[in-house]
Amino acid sequence: MRYILLLAAIHILSSPALADFREVFEREFLLKPWAGAEVEESVCVECHTSEIMKPEYRHVAEEWKLSWHYQNRVSCHDCHGGDPEDAAMSMSPQRGFLGTPGYTAVPEFCGKCHVGILRNYLESGHGKALKAGKRGPNCVTCHGSHGISKASIEIINDRLCSRCHSYERAKSMKQALFLVEKKIENIEKDLEDLRASGVYTEDERKALFRTHAEFRALFHTIDVSLVKNRTDEFTKKLDVIQERIEETSSELAFRRNFSAFIMLLFAGMAVVVFLLSKTYMD
Amino acid sequence: MTLWQRIIRWLDERIGLTELVDTHLKGYRVPSEAGVFYTLGMVAVVAYAIQAVTGFVLLIYYIPHADYAFHGLQEIMRKAPFGWLFRMMHVVGSNMMVAVLFLHLFSVFFTGSYKKPRELTWLTGGLMLLFALLFCLSGYLLPWSQLSYWATTIVTAMPTAFPYLGEYVTRLLRGTEHVSGVTLNRFFALHVAILPPFLVSLMGLHVFLIRRTGISPSPFRRSEGQAGGYPLYPHFLLKGLFMVMVYLAVMFFIISFMPTLFLPAEANVPADPYKTPAHIKPGWYFLAPYQMLKLIPNKFLGIFIELLLLGVFLLWPFLDTKEERNIMRRPLLLGVFLLTLTLWILLTLWGKYS
Repeated sequence: MRYILLLAAIHILSSPALADFREVFEREFLLKPWAGAEVEESVCVECHTSEIMKPEYRHVAEEWKLSWHYQNRVSCHDCHGGDPEDAAMSMSPQRGFLGTPGYTAVPEFCGKCHVGILRNYLESGHGKALKAGKRGPNCVTCHGSHGISKASIEIINDRLCSRCHSYERAKSMKQALFLVEKKIENIEKDLEDLRASGVYTEDERKALFRTHAEFRALFHTIDVSLVKNRTDEFTKKLDVIQERIEETSSELAFRRNFSAFIMLLFAGMAVVVFLLSKTYMD
Repeated sequence: MTLWQRIIRWLDERIGLTELVDTHLKGYRVPSEAGVFYTLGMVAVVAYAIQAVTGFVLLIYYIPHADYAFHGLQEIMRKAPFGWLFRMMHVVGSNMMVAVLFLHLFSVFFTGSYKKPRELTWLTGGLMLLFALLFCLSGYLLPWSQLSYWATTIVTAMPTAFPYLGEYVTRLLRGTEHVSGVTLNRFFALHVAILPPFLVSLMGLHVFLIRRTGISPSPFRRSEGQAGGYPLYPHFLLKGLFMVMVYLAVMFFIISFMPTLFLPAEANVPADPYKTPAHIKPGWYFLAPYQMLKLIPNKFLGIFIELLLLGVFLLWPFLDTKEERNIMRRPLLLGVFLLTLTLWILLTLWGKYS
């Protein structure tokens, strides 16, 4: 035992020489796995939250951190370009830095990712008005910019729409959207319940996301009759997903009942074996 | 003569079946006070057999490749006939097997059954527990989920606290710098091909030693009970069968009503080496050493203490050579035992909720 303790003492006292293993250990074991989600701050965020930034630009990073983009790992450089890892070149056009787009260029700026929505928007009254006279709304007018929330039917409201025109037409669009949006909301909730029950729902989630994105893109035409005409088509697509969810839910109920039955079977057999063993003991 | 009797007679003429049964089952006596705690070893054997059988079924469908492992397992859960049942039995069974082994260990310790002449029985049992934990460790990675990936990252990083050899051990386990597809292949080979023969051999040796030295009588018995004890068959085997039924009933209770007990949300997300999830922890059986390592500031000291404790655990019968088996008459040992048990539970809870 004393040799073991001596060996331990030698190792501990010589610990400065063991800096290598400690560094690896801290990197691998101490910091990474349980220090919470790994947050890699880009130089954009570092600079925009520092004292050197003008006050009017300082809120940008904070707003973004509350946004839907942040939750989906869409970072500054994904929209604005530039190099998020090199402070000196972060705003260099050579690294693709685009800066802030002009008012009429905003749709194309967002449309790099939201392709379907851009197409429908440009064909809509909103898009045409913007391109014709710079007076129409762009994406930011309704959705905001850095603090962007998850799109929802609630974005169509009296306060926002009546800044430019009467709410009546927007209201009829909201009514046309309502049923499908409600259905999507219910399916999202059902999928969350399934996930909590331990079911992998990625396929259904992707199908829902595709349908949802397509439906939202359609809305950007702001053509109420087109939305109404195609509501059935989207309802059918959502019904397919709903059906799969229901099948999975009944499968889960079957599993629960089946294994509960087997549990009772073994519990019953345990009682029988116990009584049998008692007779032998007697 | 019925067909059954004719089969028995046929076997009897060739291998002496009746003599075998008379000598090794009916003639073999177990102490009359041997209660349900004495059957935990038998339950552990059945638990391992369940793991093996359900593992064989999963092996038919499982693809040990980083690109297919997770989705393949989802196919097993959703499309393979009763694949969900076999997977759930395997997952729940692995945890319950470790729990049974711990209980078996405690009961053997508490009754002083490790003392002369049973030192080797304890040693083989201790090694079997370590192999069972290795089974759990290697099997944990196979679903290739976020939970399995990051929990394996934590556990395989633990040896890095040990100087000189630590990094080599981690590298040997992982195959690459970080947990990767190479690690998955290594752990798969370990899980299905390398560990089973070792465990089965140890199990055979363990049973052989029990047969040679006999089941240890309880140090707490008040009367002699039935002279010479009870026969193994049917008395003791029926007790064992009762415990096996209880074990299975508990397993199916968990599968029915607590299916996510051992499969939290991260177990349902494919592994992503670039996204470290918050609150990932190793399996509950590794939580105490994990928390202990976190608490001790000098990491080498931490791992050294853990290895020392492991050595003490395995070689305990050679360290505790006093003849007294009744722990109640040894307050110091009882105190150390209860303290260790309490510390283990506290560290486990601390590790879980920290």
